[in-house]
Amino acid sequence: MKKVLLTFAFAVLTLVSVLAQSKTITGRVTSAEEPEGVPGASVVVKGTTQGVITDLDGSYSIDVPADASTLVFSFVGYLTKEMPIGSNSIINVSMDVDVKTLNEVVVVGYGTQERREITGSVTSIDSKAIENLVTPSFESQLAGRAPGVSITTPSGILGAAPIIRIRGVNSLTAGAGPLIVIDGVPVVSSDRSAVNDSNPLANINPADIASFEVLKDGSASAIYGSRAANGVILITTKRGAEGKAKVSYNTSMGINTAVETFALLSGDEFVTIANEKRTNANQSPLANPGVNTDWQDLVFRQGFVQQHNLSISGGSAATKYFFSLGFTDQESAVRPNELSRYSFRANVDHSISKAIRIGTSMSYSYTEILGLNNGSNSLSGAIYNATRALPNVPIYDEANTAFDGYNVTANGATTGFGANLAGPDNNIPNIGFVIDNNIYRSRTHRIIGNAYGEVDIVTGLTARSQIGIDLTLADDFQSLDARHGDGRSSNGSVYMAANPAFLWNWQNTLNYQTVFAEDHSLNVTAGLEYQFAKYYGFSGSATDISDDYFRRNNLITGSYNNQFSTGSYRESGFDSYFGRFNYSFKGKYLASFTLRNDGISDLVGDNKRGTFFGGSVGWRVSDEAFFNSDLISDFKLRASYAEVGNTDIDSFAAFGGYAPVLGGAGAGIGYNRIANTGLQWETSKKLNLGLDMTIGKVTVSADYFSNDVDGLILAAPTAPSLGVPGNSINQNIGAMTNSGFELRVASNVINRGKFSWDTDFNITFIKNEVTNLISPITSTYNRTQVGNSIGELYGFRWAGVNPANGNPLYYSGEDIVQYNLQQSIGGVSQLNYRVYDPANPSDISVRATSGPTQEFLGRTLPKWQGGWSNSFSYGNFDAEIFTRFSGGNYIMNESLRGLLGQGFSNNHASILNRWTESGQVTDVPKLYSGQDQNMWQNSASNSRFVEKGDFVKIQNIVLGYTIPAAALESAFSGAISNARFFAQVQNPFIFTKYTGLDPEANSYSNQRQFGVDWNVAPIVRTYTLGLSVGF
Amino acid sequence: MKKILIKNIKMVLVGAALIGFASACEVTDLVPANLIPDSEAFSTAPRIESAVLGVYESAQRGFYNDVVQRGYPFGAANVEQGDMRGEDMYNDQAFYEITYNNSYSPNSANNAGMWISLYRMINRLNIILGNLDVAVTNGVLTAEDANAYKGEMLFLRALAHHELLIHFARPYSDDVSSMGIPYRTFGIDDVTKVPDAEAVSRGTVGEDYAQLLLDLDAAEGFLPEGGAGRANKGAAIALKSRIKLHMEDWAGVLTEYNKLATKYAVTANPVAPFRGITSTDNIFSFINSATSNPGTNGALPAMYGNPDLGARGLVKISPIIWRADFWNAEDTRRTLLTTRSNLGIFTFKYTDATTFSDPNPILRFSEVVLNAAEANARLGGPNAAAAVTLLNSVRSRALPASVPAYTVAGADLLTAILNERRIEFLAEGRRWPDIHRLSGEGLMNGIPLKATSRSITSINFYTTSIAIPTDHSLAYSSNLFVWPIPLAELQANTTAPIEQNPGY
Repeated sequence: MKKVLLTFAFAVLTLVSVLAQSKTITGRVTSAEEPEGVPGASVVVKGTTQGVITDLDGSYSIDVPADASTLVFSFVGYLTKEMPIGSNSIINVSMDVDVKTLNEVVVVGYGTQERREITGSVTSIDSKAIENLVTPSFESQLAGRAPGVSITTPSGILGAAPIIRIRGVNSLTAGAGPLIVIDGVPVVSSDRSAVNDSNPLANINPADIASFEVLKDGSASAIYGSRAANGVILITTKRGAEGKAKVSYNTSMGINTAVETFALLSGDEFVTIANEKRTNANQSPLANPGVNTDWQDLVFRQGFVQQHNLSISGGSAATKYFFSLGFTDQESAVRPNELSRYSFRANVDHSISKAIRIGTSMSYSYTEILGLNNGSNSLSGAIYNATRALPNVPIYDEANTAFDGYNVTANGATTGFGANLAGPDNNIPNIGFVIDNNIYRSRTHRIIGNAYGEVDIVTGLTARSQIGIDLTLADDFQSLDARHGDGRSSNGSVYMAANPAFLWNWQNTLNYQTVFAEDHSLNVTAGLEYQFAKYYGFSGSATDISDDYFRRNNLITGSYNNQFSTGSYRESGFDSYFGRFNYSFKGKYLASFTLRNDGISDLVGDNKRGTFFGGSVGWRVSDEAFFNSDLISDFKLRASYAEVGNTDIDSFAAFGGYAPVLGGAGAGIGYNRIANTGLQWETSKKLNLGLDMTIGKVTVSADYFSNDVDGLILAAPTAPSLGVPGNSINQNIGAMTNSGFELRVASNVINRGKFSWDTDFNITFIKNEVTNLISPITSTYNRTQVGNSIGELYGFRWAGVNPANGNPLYYSGEDIVQYNLQQSIGGVSQLNYRVYDPANPSDISVRATSGPTQEFLGRTLPKWQGGWSNSFSYGNFDAEIFTRFSGGNYIMNESLRGLLGQGFSNNHASILNRWTESGQVTDVPKLYSGQDQNMWQNSASNSRFVEKGDFVKIQNIVLGYTIPAAALESAFSGAISNARFFAQVQNPFIFTKYTGLDPEANSYSNQRQFGVDWNVAPIVRTYTLGLSVGF
Repeated sequence: MKKILIKNIKMVLVGAALIGFASACEVTDLVPANLIPDSEAFSTAPRIESAVLGVYESAQRGFYNDVVQRGYPFGAANVEQGDMRGEDMYNDQAFYEITYNNSYSPNSANNAGMWISLYRMINRLNIILGNLDVAVTNGVLTAEDANAYKGEMLFLRALAHHELLIHFARPYSDDVSSMGIPYRTFGIDDVTKVPDAEAVSRGTVGEDYAQLLLDLDAAEGFLPEGGAGRANKGAAIALKSRIKLHMEDWAGVLTEYNKLATKYAVTANPVAPFRGITSTDNIFSFINSATSNPGTNGALPAMYGNPDLGARGLVKISPIIWRADFWNAEDTRRTLLTTRSNLGIFTFKYTDATTFSDPNPILRFSEVVLNAAEANARLGGPNAAAAVTLLNSVRSRALPASVPAYTVAGADLLTAILNERRIEFLAEGRRWPDIHRLSGEGLMNGIPLKATSRSITSINFYTTSIAIPTDHSLAYSSNLFVWPIPLAELQANTTAPIEQNPGY
């Protein structure tokens, strides 16, 4: 389509050569993307206006004067190339894609637009850079690829959804993730599994994706009206092009490994530490020397990964097709976590006549995730357990056949004691047995499809109707062994659930495009859209299983004594009426205006409907007569303003009432939510000022943006003693701003002979400030308050360890208090806060009048972030090094605090620095059994464990080798048209001062509880080798 | 001409399709499937009954760490916290460590869980109280039915507020003018009621106890007799006897006892009150079921049960009481109501470690009897004999005939009654309320020494005379004697935050 249009356009502009002729040169213009020829490219004799346009197969014939020395080949989307004429009469040219202007036609909401006409802020990401990477879902690989787009993979568990934020966090309690639209259909973005993290975007085969467009400012996204507050990501899947069938096959295989694991005590060190905790507290020692075990070895592994993608595409002038098959199987670095996906896609477009077109996009995928319990403080949580299990007891006990040879107490209650007098804290089970026997499985069948029809009613006026569906059929299976671990207390359990989600979306648009008075071009779109989604599900579960044999695959009738069921239903609807008006004068003065009226089922009465608008203007300065620069070839200024909304609020947020509750006395109803019928839309006022320019070989794009979010829907906290459900009431109270600056610079640095080097750098600075709130919102580690950024760390300020006695010191207001870790004297407990006098640290005589006090300890949102891609090619070799960076934020290292616990559990190796003698300066207090709460101020942040989150990551290194066409030709006599081998390392290097496993590790995806690293599975490093073949 | 016609037909078709479908698409007028609107919740008698059942649910399954779990406040947690603040049950794990070794803070989860889930229950019942008269006016309920519900709600309101008082306020027996807790008497089901609710202050302990009695006297008048699974007249009277004991109103305790003396009886078999709720001793219990219970991280049979019987065994009976000389070696409560493993001795009052369906006994007639025994002993003189009789009605039923009944009517009588409470109510969470009131009047000085956490590593600590390591005592004067008000309470009330307990 694109090719045809451009050919046509260039035909109109064909230059006619009438000059004297002395020589005819012929040849063909091709490119890697268009090996059959680039039609419509211009071939001009340098220094003249003499030129021709290539025809449909890219060939040309030009007459050149005898004194002509150079031909200039150019075409939109490609780098201009100059070729010496010399004595040649045939000059064939292979053109290189200009990465900066790629995707000349950009997909925008409900249509497409030419890149040069765009006045909003839209970043396109080509899928080429990421399509061969091994990844559970595509979006994690978009991290760092576009300015203003932050994507964080919070853990190494496959299936965990990355956190996507476009231009910062734009809501407090409503959703803060973008709207995701695949081939025009907004997709369901809720995790439908109850037993695993099951990222809905992991159902989509990354290899099917052609391009991503990120709509960032208000103007670009305003066409999505009420759903646009958090930005929009438009995904376009691959479609067929006219030509003979092209078959391609891509595969890669490799391993996933944990980047880092925790440094823990050895068995012998543990005995010393554990007994010192006890004796310091006047308690009897419990630990005795045994073996040296690192339980992490049981949990971590090198996981095998593989992926295979086969596609066929092609078509005639009337009918074009793209079919693909995909398979991937990825084992994570944490046993037994694994994700496998089978996917199928059929995209077909057909022109019934010149004026009528129909088409369809259909995809089906089946995704299976094997998960695990990785609860941050679950007794069978893999990371929690493996880092707490006693290192002086063995993992295995071969004689213990009742527990499959694992070291487990005879009653199954906990891990065997070894030589110790007690088992581990909280009777944690042997994690090896748990991993081997407990099953967490989620399966998802997903069908995303749409069908459209388009009719050209009169010239320029096209009506289009598109119906899309997104059907998720998710089912869960969780089976817990009766003998040991989480299933022991219920004597074995099996849980199964089906949680379907169905969404339909119907869009009707009328589009009118015209050019009048030659220079005025107009593009008007009007439309209406309806959307309805229902989410429903039920579960059946069983406990007290008669025989382990029946537990392994499914619920089996008759094999259990107790049975339970649950069910849920929720629906949401949405309708809207919208229009967009784009105007361009000579491509020099550009304007766009969008208006949209939306209705949503979650609100009540008149508040259901909201009207949103956006407008933008652009000025291509470089097209002005006065603009005369050899250096700057293109220069455009843009400005936009829009008011958009956020529909990602609580289901039926404005409604209140009584929910069903089941008590021991019977099924009843319980007051569940206070209604607020006055609840309204959240609105975001988005301003964007930007410029695009090309300076020599460098393209620069810069944007300043600000987003004022007002009327934030807030689950406004109420005092717990009011007993209001959830201790909160939904209210439109709150305002916040995000402002910042984005810069993208890309260039071909070197293009000399066989060697070329392209670079693409982006950086974003964002400032978030909450400007209005009813009262601060406080959670365990974070607090959101007016004047600060959202979710800053909040807690106690550590003042070190008293060198005189080993007591931990904390600030209490301006003063410092010490928690007096001393044994009882005459039966009177000494464990309380005492005044600390720096001049006389050994003085513990004065009781403190108040304990430690809390304050803000650091922002959790990065202030700056970005990415830097460098790609190289030398002959048949290619390489890419992709770097990501982020910083200005702080992390609460809860994992470390937990590992410095004072119970009978393993510890972090740094506990060896504990205070032991008077005068010792250290950062670990005197050990004292059972005094975690006051030693470490648990249940709030603590500056002792708050660390900077700055990092630079080498995200990917890719090396490729393309087999020369001649070699393929001779070896396979044309059966294989192209072949490339590649080797990749994902996540090879991290440069950071953060002492935890990964500075991006995050326990909570909620924007108000950000920046907490609490026993998160380490992020994986992936090594793969691969092959792409075209037939 | 023809071309234009075709064009027009096309446009008409497209237009008709758009308009036709548009009018058929009403997608925003939806109502939630799982939420009955406020306006309809009290519109039928069965719905009102459902709402009342919802109060019991909130009593049994409240919030802990923002999740419904662990049996706050009365599913199990009142027992666990009440025991862990005392010395007769022993903490063997980190679960209850913070309570056991008195290291709670305004941020710790147990005290916050109690506070939040009790007030959640209170608001649910207050909302119902506010709607009952309207329901009568509307002809939805008869006045008689409405009164029965009123009684039920008032009883539960008193029960919940008293639980708050014993944890977050100083004892009535010390100083009635010390800080109480906010006593909620109206429901908050509308944004406009928030400011009035925030303005309610802590008041004094004296005012709170007066309100408890007002609620219970009304409840007694409204409530019919009934089984132990729902609030009933006997339950209101029994709770009054407990509260009057805290208030040192000895005559009042006897008044309440006398109302019940002929209706209930101490069971001959001490196990009976724990196997169902229908024995003559069961006055009021919260019912747990296989489908609704505190779960594996909270249920009494899981937490207190013997690991050899499939339970988790995080809490054992303390060797302190097991080896106490006042507990007769032949007492059948040592055998029938306990089990042992090589790690120690566990209670067997709660047995269902698989589906956690044991009810949580809240009020037993044995308590009313021992309350009366204590009141008689305190009054002394002619009442002493009655005290001895009442004591023996509980004690002797668990002893073989060869063991003589208690006869001394001197100063030791009160001690004997208090000790009998420790034995009879072991693992029922009653130890802390006794420490609370007895410390207030100076009979005890705060929390006695407990067996050192995580130190009772074998059965030998029960069966031999090896020394019991002890720690974790707390003087009555310590600020830690009362729990801190949770930080969230002080932070979220922006208009009139209540006062924190001193020292936190």
